[in-house]
Amino acid sequence: MKHINNFVLYDSMRELKVNGEFTGSIISKCQDKIIISDNIKISESDGIKISQGLLVGFEKNRDKMTAFSKTLNFHFHDTKDNLLEYSVKIPEETMEKYDQGQFSNDFPFTINLLHTAGLLLNVDDFRFRINHLDFFKGEILKNPVSLILKGIIVADRVVIDHNGDPVFYDCLIVGRDENDDLNISYETIINVDDTVVEFVIILGIEELKM
Amino acid sequence: MLIFENIEQKLLNLLKFTGSPIKKFVSTGEIEENIDLVSSRKEQLSSIIKIIEENENFILPVIADVGVGKTHLFWALKHELYRYNVVYISLENVLRKFYYNTYSEFIESMGVEVLRSIVNRLCNKWGALERKFGFFHVADIEKVRKIAFEKWPSQFESKMAINDIIYAVTTHQLDPYKKVDAERWLLGELMDIRELSRLNLMHDLREKNNAFTMLKVLVENSMVNSVLFIDDFEKIISILKTKDEDSEEFFDPSWLYGNSSPEKYNAEKTLDKILQLHKIKGLRIIITLKSQEFYEEIKRKIEEKNNHLSFLLMKPVYLSNFIEQDIFLFYKSLLEDFFRDINYTEYFNNFKNSYFPLKESNLKFIFKQSKGNPREILKLLIKTFSKIILSKERFGKLIE
Repeated sequence: MKHINNFVLYDSMRELKVNGEFTGSIISKCQDKIIISDNIKISESDGIKISQGLLVGFEKNRDKMTAFSKTLNFHFHDTKDNLLEYSVKIPEETMEKYDQGQFSNDFPFTINLLHTAGLLLNVDDFRFRINHLDFFKGEILKNPVSLILKGIIVADRVVIDHNGDPVFYDCLIVGRDENDDLNISYETIINVDDTVVEFVIILGIEELKM
Repeated sequence: MLIFENIEQKLLNLLKFTGSPIKKFVSTGEIEENIDLVSSRKEQLSSIIKIIEENENFILPVIADVGVGKTHLFWALKHELYRYNVVYISLENVLRKFYYNTYSEFIESMGVEVLRSIVNRLCNKWGALERKFGFFHVADIEKVRKIAFEKWPSQFESKMAINDIIYAVTTHQLDPYKKVDAERWLLGELMDIRELSRLNLMHDLREKNNAFTMLKVLVENSMVNSVLFIDDFEKIISILKTKDEDSEEFFDPSWLYGNSSPEKYNAEKTLDKILQLHKIKGLRIIITLKSQEFYEEIKRKIEEKNNHLSFLLMKPVYLSNFIEQDIFLFYKSLLEDFFRDINYTEYFNNFKNSYFPLKESNLKFIFKQSKGNPREILKLLIKTFSKIILSKERFGKLIE
């Protein structure tokens, strides 16, 4: 289900910027990290501000990569070399579908991690690679966030299938099409080959509750 | 090839096989009535619907003698007001545990899905579906309860009932491990102390305040308006009325209970409870009474109890016996309904323009004998059909 509404608030590649203050469900991509927030303020004079957004990604910690999610305030200046690639606001009707697709409250056999952890990390340097897919085969993990080659998946849950590939359920997908235009899609289920996945992070419930 | 068919004889044979097309002469709140109201009553039905649509809280008395069709009116209302919850209770059945029984009837009429949706909407109002970072529903059950406690107290009187209901509603929506038990509580199932303590509740819905508050929550938060149809309302008055002096009694109850008796006490309490229903916003009440005398008595009682509540009691609607024209339409509807039930609608079309197996004169005679009382008409029709079916006499002679 594809949306052609005006949902792109900022796109550095297309040099697109919509000034104003926006609230709702906003996904931003910042290099190889994802910012999830309920607000964004874009102005000519003050650049782009996100207040209390959740930054999700991997960081190098001595000799290993650690998944993290941090609540931070962000301020990107309006220059060509700023790190923010794009910001999109998910339409409310898509969010309603996403809300309806959630089932955690009724289904007790879902694994909620207390702290944010990396499930999969595909990097060139094999020393930093992480792959816990086999360990969680057949389990239902709550609140996965994934960076794929050209897109982002924010899903309600992920199940690792018999091939060891992640299957995302109730997911919001943000990505670029063949013309590099940004698109948003809602899918009830999507199967992704683990080789095209850059990372899958499971958000910890403690970080979300804070 | 069929050259000639004696359709009249075929109908008589069919009736011998199926039995009388009219099986019952009393309408009940449990068995649905599909027969439409006769034309002379359509106007009364419209006026009742108008009152329901134009007013929020009221008690509307419907006065009619025994067997005139008060209960049948309920089914006509239910069919007509399909966008309302029209709930029937017979006062005789709910005199004890009035709120609990009334709540059960509402649940039965509305269905469990409506209850679930109401509970879900309530929890949403209390912030259960608030999205953290714009995406994640991280419902904090304690926080949701706190918001509920802040929002609700002004609307309800019993703090203990609010406490129980908020705990049951939030547990149902936000605690998957106790959801089933919480739903049982919301449906009004009886629960023992161990089950209640697991849910952190004090009482089940047998407790008067819990049942009343839950009924209020259900009616006020439903997407559609509610009409409560209380049949046999005069039952209260007949209990409250002092007994006939001449009646023979083995012992005088006043020796034990003073001026009152347990029945009178119960009836008083039930009347108080019914009057309390005016606190449920949007609950329209229709009561049925057998005579004007009962209406005057109810009016006096309400004024005695609380003069401010007399505005609730509306001008009564009177249902009268059938007029002669009604019996023909009524008879046709009965037969049509019967043939529809046995899947013989097409065959019945042959008799659309006659009253076969009866004649117009038979129906006129029945009307005269019954004085237009629908129940008496039904009784006589059953009797007539039984004669036709069982008698060995020639049909023509019999019908004369």
